Amino acid sequence: MIVPKRMIIVMLSLSFVFVIWAVAGAGSVLAQEADNGVCLACHGQPGLQTTLPSGEILYLTVDPEVFEASVHGLEGFLCVHCHSDIDGYPHPPLTVETRRELSLSLYRSSCILCHEDKYDETLDSVHAVALAGGDDRAAICTDCHGSHNISPPTEPRSRSSQMCELCHSEIFERYKQSVHGAALIGEGNPDVPSCIDCHHVHCIEGPLTCPFHLFSPQTCANCHADAELMAKYGISTDVFDTYVADFHGTTVVLFEKLAPDQETNKPVCIDCHGVHDMKQVDDPESAVMKENLLATCQKCHPDATTDFPTSWLGHYPPDAEHAPLVFFVRLFYLIFIPAVLGVMVVFVATDVRKRFLGRSKEPQHG
Amino acid sequence: MDESRSYSRFSIFYRIEHWVLTTSFTLLAITGLVQQHVDSGFVTSIIDLLGGIETVRLLHHVAAIVLMLETIYHIAHVGYRVFVLRKRMSMLPGIEDARNALQALRYNLGLDERRPQQGFYTFEEKLEYWAVVWGTIVMGVTGFMLWNPIATTNLLPGTFIPAAKIAHGLEAFLAVVAILIWHMYHVHLRHFNKSIFTGQASEEEMLDEHPKTLAEIKAGGEEPRIPPDVLSKRRRIFFPVCGLAVAVMLTGVYFFVGYEETAIATIPPAEEVTVFVHLTPTPLPTIAPSSAGSEGADWGDFQHPLSLEGAHASADCADCHVEGQELTSDCSGCHQPPSDHYGPNCADCHTPTSFQDARLPADEHPIELVGAHQAASCEGCHAGGEETPEYICSNCHARPENHLPGECDICHTPRGFAESASFLVDLAPAIPHEIEGRDDCFMCHDPEGEIQPAPCNHVDYINEQCTLCHKTEQ
Repeated sequence: MIVPKRMIIVMLSLSFVFVIWAVAGAGSVLAQEADNGVCLACHGQPGLQTTLPSGEILYLTVDPEVFEASVHGLEGFLCVHCHSDIDGYPHPPLTVETRRELSLSLYRSSCILCHEDKYDETLDSVHAVALAGGDDRAAICTDCHGSHNISPPTEPRSRSSQMCELCHSEIFERYKQSVHGAALIGEGNPDVPSCIDCHHVHCIEGPLTCPFHLFSPQTCANCHADAELMAKYGISTDVFDTYVADFHGTTVVLFEKLAPDQETNKPVCIDCHGVHDMKQVDDPESAVMKENLLATCQKCHPDATTDFPTSWLGHYPPDAEHAPLVFFVRLFYLIFIPAVLGVMVVFVATDVRKRFLGRSKEPQHG
Repeated sequence: MDESRSYSRFSIFYRIEHWVLTTSFTLLAITGLVQQHVDSGFVTSIIDLLGGIETVRLLHHVAAIVLMLETIYHIAHVGYRVFVLRKRMSMLPGIEDARNALQALRYNLGLDERRPQQGFYTFEEKLEYWAVVWGTIVMGVTGFMLWNPIATTNLLPGTFIPAAKIAHGLEAFLAVVAILIWHMYHVHLRHFNKSIFTGQASEEEMLDEHPKTLAEIKAGGEEPRIPPDVLSKRRRIFFPVCGLAVAVMLTGVYFFVGYEETAIATIPPAEEVTVFVHLTPTPLPTIAPSSAGSEGADWGDFQHPLSLEGAHASADCADCHVEGQELTSDCSGCHQPPSDHYGPNCADCHTPTSFQDARLPADEHPIELVGAHQAASCEGCHAGGEETPEYICSNCHARPENHLPGECDICHTPRGFAESASFLVDLAPAIPHEIEGRDDCFMCHDPEGEIQPAPCNHVDYINEQCTLCHKTEQ
């Protein structure tokens, strides 16, 4: 019997597909076998631990109830999805020296499997840079999200900030005292910024870089130029525009556009109002309170004296009430300019009419 | 009329002044106006072209210095002409200029037949000159305030600074637009007047714009020459006085430019704070064993490394944590083993739950502890604390009624009481023959006999026990 060539190709392809299917199927069977019950038979027991070469104790107990209630537990994920190196007992020997090494090796091989986009975002973050620079204290996925107990990061909204607190407790203490922090932590206010609203989530920029400094007024403006939001608290939305209209803001806006990587000595919002500890403007401790303003100006203008701070109009548009001198100088020019130019235009226009439009009764000279 | 004749209007000094003024004014206008409209993309690209805002400000300052020096030179120059050469102050405005302006307007509107007969400087030129003087004063004063805000606020209220900024910007706008309308029209559009570049005006130009001066020249009104001795006498007085005045004005410029350092070059950090400060105590990444903890103590998320259960739950911290002593999780820190105690590792047998619940690990027992025996109490076998026990099943297991007589271990193993018996039944070979009428198994199956002898361990068995395990074949 002669089998056509085409038939052979089709059969070969089919058998290839079958082999692939069989291998893949076998793999999934293996995974199904490693049911969480198998793992938790041991790891659900309290007190399970081992000592790592560094002398640290590695706790091996996972509370089944906690895992079941976590986002992964609720979705029915298996222990071996993340602990993919475990395929039975005895387990492969631990090759890590410290608990941190274990966390670092596990998050690199597991989180990325499902959350590659978020993982990639973190690669641009200040934490990833520190980690690449050899600082293994820098935060990785599990430091903020947890491991067996992962819950939705915004429930409650203050949760993410409290994760930052784990490593940045000094900054967090200042933030907690600020007008924003007190409202978030104390009252659960949904409008105030938490850490991630200014610093972003996974691609956390280094806040000491020039671009971060230069663009920070835009970050503040996200809320402080939002009329609807500010109306709730009776806060003026002129703050951003009046800042940009003045010498400091004008310069900063130009640096944003033209030289975002260059340092400028002009202040942004946080340089006067404070960074994490900013207070309400009528708080006696506020850096921009009238009594404290000279000291704030002197940070950059060391020779400034008593009257210097009043040269800043305090985010008020220059109207007759807040800055009469400025208002009347402007008014003078709004009258003076049209008057002068008007006279000039009249002379020029009549001269043009006479000389070039042939309205002259007199013969031209020359 | 002599077409080729030209008349001197501007000396080389005035012509240079004009160039300096043109350059500095243009540069000031461009670098100044762009700073007022940074929200426009076009303006931003001009700033970019000029090298950024800091360069723009530097250029503005340099141009301002040039204009200030030019102003000083102009004052000295005019002073020399007035006090030494005793020229007429032909640029001074007078009532005649107002009359000329009015007549020009009337003529343009057809209300007058004659054009004004103007002298060396027309009213248009005078207006322009004095506008420049006014503008330079306003821009100089307000510019000083903006350049030296600290010096200004030492003398004046702070609100003068934003007022100066407004005035500086609007005056600049006025100056630029006035130049575009007035200057552009009168010397470029109406007729391109080149006299400020060449120094000369033609007969025709003189007749058109300065007929009065032309008439005076034609009438032979030559100015008398000053005798050399008079001239040198005047100079001897003028130069020291003028030199002093110029020195004072240059000092003023020096202070204008370098009086104060308004701001420091590098802005200080907005916040002095240590970035990495681990929260104490730091929660562990893995959920540690649950611990009861000392009563009343709130440890937050801290987990005691040793599970605090049983007697440990009610122990005082100080029982284990002796001050000044490094703590290990060795039991021997608190518990002293008896001298003839079994084994070196406490945790092999003991748990923190209770010391009394100590159990030998199943695989450490000399005889394998399997099945229910794994959980049985030691006392069951080790009656009276005997190290080597009699295996007395009845200590724990009661013989049911109607149970067969004999030793338990004939049928039962520790593997499981019921299980072990059926296991034996399955192993026992079946009886291949009738048993009716055959009462004594051992008659034929004597362990020492010939016919299917019972195994030697069956020696003590009685007939009733044989059929417990051996069944007849069906």
